[in-house]
Amino acid sequence: MNPQEMKPEREPWYRSKTFKRFRRNPLAIVGALLLLAFVLVAFMAPAITAPQLASIPAARPCLRDLGIKRSEVMDTLRNPLSPVFWKATLAPPESCYNIPRDGFSPLPKPPSEKHPMGVSGGGYDVMYGLVWGTRTAFYVGFLVVGITLSIGIVVGGLAGFIGGAVDNFIMRVTDVMLSFPRLVFVMIIAVIFGSGLTTVMLAMAVVGWAGYARFFRGDILRTKAQEFVDAARALGASPMRVFAKHVFPNAIGTLLILASMDVGSIVLAASGFSFLGLGAPVGYADWGQMISFARDYILGSAQGTPFDYWYVSVYPSLMLVLFGLAWNLLGDAVRDALDPKS
Amino acid sequence: MFNFIARRLLQIPVVLFVLSLIIMGLMQLLSPQQRAAAFVTSDKQIENLDLIIEKYHLDEGFIVQYKLWAKEVLHGNLGFSRISKEPVLTTIRKRLPASTELALAAFVPIVLVGIWLGTIAATHRDGLIDQTLRVVAIIGWSLPTFVVAIWLVAWVYGGLGWFGIGRLPNNLLIELASGDFHRYTGMYTIDGLLNGRLDITYEALKRLVLPATALVIVVSAGIMRVMRSSMLDELGKDYVRTARAKGLPEKAVIYKHARRNALIPVITMAGPMLGRMIGGIVVIELIFNFPGLGEWAAKAALQLDVTTLLAFVMLIGLIMAVANLLVDIAYVIVDPRIRYE
Repeated sequence: MNPQEMKPEREPWYRSKTFKRFRRNPLAIVGALLLLAFVLVAFMAPAITAPQLASIPAARPCLRDLGIKRSEVMDTLRNPLSPVFWKATLAPPESCYNIPRDGFSPLPKPPSEKHPMGVSGGGYDVMYGLVWGTRTAFYVGFLVVGITLSIGIVVGGLAGFIGGAVDNFIMRVTDVMLSFPRLVFVMIIAVIFGSGLTTVMLAMAVVGWAGYARFFRGDILRTKAQEFVDAARALGASPMRVFAKHVFPNAIGTLLILASMDVGSIVLAASGFSFLGLGAPVGYADWGQMISFARDYILGSAQGTPFDYWYVSVYPSLMLVLFGLAWNLLGDAVRDALDPKS
Repeated sequence: MFNFIARRLLQIPVVLFVLSLIIMGLMQLLSPQQRAAAFVTSDKQIENLDLIIEKYHLDEGFIVQYKLWAKEVLHGNLGFSRISKEPVLTTIRKRLPASTELALAAFVPIVLVGIWLGTIAATHRDGLIDQTLRVVAIIGWSLPTFVVAIWLVAWVYGGLGWFGIGRLPNNLLIELASGDFHRYTGMYTIDGLLNGRLDITYEALKRLVLPATALVIVVSAGIMRVMRSSMLDELGKDYVRTARAKGLPEKAVIYKHARRNALIPVITMAGPMLGRMIGGIVVIELIFNFPGLGEWAAKAALQLDVTTLLAFVMLIGLIMAVANLLVDIAYVIVDPRIRYE
């Protein structure tokens, strides 16, 4: 008989019980919608901020790198038929991530027609930073999760596959990594390599793999103990083949789903480092960095007026919290759906 | 049990040794001049960095340097902190009590709130309370520490004028520096009581409320979720059914039987939780202008003060090692079936 015919029918993922449980969770729907909104904002960033790019003279480097004049901004960045629209949307030059400064006044300015969400101290347009900061958030989140996940899969896979003393050693290292505060690692690496968004991402990647490694190792051990693995081994498959063909593909699914939900918490943590001044430089479109402006005016202009400059901190905080919330709502629903007990 | 504790205590130096190897390894990435700062003990010496490089062979290999560094550390010389302009050890002695005070003030409410809410959520499974708490926990989990801290400072302190920031009001600090107030522990709440100065205890407590609240908001959500799921596990077990069948009141079933067993997974979380708390304390001290170790370390990181940061990392390593030992001992207290041999 052709072995192909023996394969059992697999039901498609969207009909699986797990997905059904996920879909019926109202919190998951809220999270998914929120996330969709963030994706749209990130995607449309050049179009949304076209008025700022056209009206603030300091946006010149971004326009120069895009190859357009100020008078052309509104016609190109909001016109999907223009090649500049796609260049700005898909691969914007790095200079567009710097918030254009409208003047250098140290005092924030309230929302106006020109600056719908106000201007923070130093002339930085709040709305511009928020919109482009969404891109920074996705970039940081996906990159860090991608790197940590790769390290975690390799390390956890080695521990689970080889076992014995290697496993023991790797798990002890993992314990140390897990119990040590992430912030402290980031501080050391920032001091040695200098602060910056890259440093923060590097530090988080160096620290973050431990949780994934331990989880993946556990899943590998569980999968290894199942009967189909015994069957494969009894049929004479080499250890390498058993691992690559049977154990690995069956163990990795859950980890991939759970890890993808960590994007939110990664972004929250990274924004904290930017807030402290270890991450993105001043004026870069990064939510944490923008909230750090608030520290200067946290108590308002005079005693007892803490809400004078509310727009400097409320909008970026809101973006950050909603972003984290979107991912955590999704993640919570996913964990629930994957939990066989519920 | 005593054997176990003794063995674990002996492990602590090993952990610190490994940690110091890692740190010294990272230090090799810095220039000899930057590393020389770790040996500077007074302002005058900063001018003679080349002499120090020569004296401590800082331009030589890793092993030579490690030996010298370890010798200094074992003699109690952790270096000179540029940030606080005094030897590192002096600063630690001054600032450790402040951070400890804050950590203790936050720790008890964090654990109580987490366990309490987790129990309620589990006993009202899928009901309105459970659903509400679930959303609250997710929101709490999504709030970055610095955002919570900023809003507490702006709204509660700035807007309402309640509580306070810093550790003590300036006039009391000046009085303490000149007067005959005896520092027994360095924690103002306790020292105030011991010196019979209730006003100092009151002022110090007042200034602990907001930072501790920020920590509770950020940390307790995680405990609550673990407590809820482990409590649900326990409530589904046979012994709970037996207890109910015997006619035990529901309260006794929940609080005397199920909850005690449900605490074990929560204790497992204590390690990661402490990590989250230390990270939170650094940020919170900075925002609340609270002169603890975290504020010192955060400033050191910003001003590239390597010496200070190294000492901070070693100290955190020591704290985490001791905390993990305490966690293992707590297991035995909660669950007498656990035996360490």
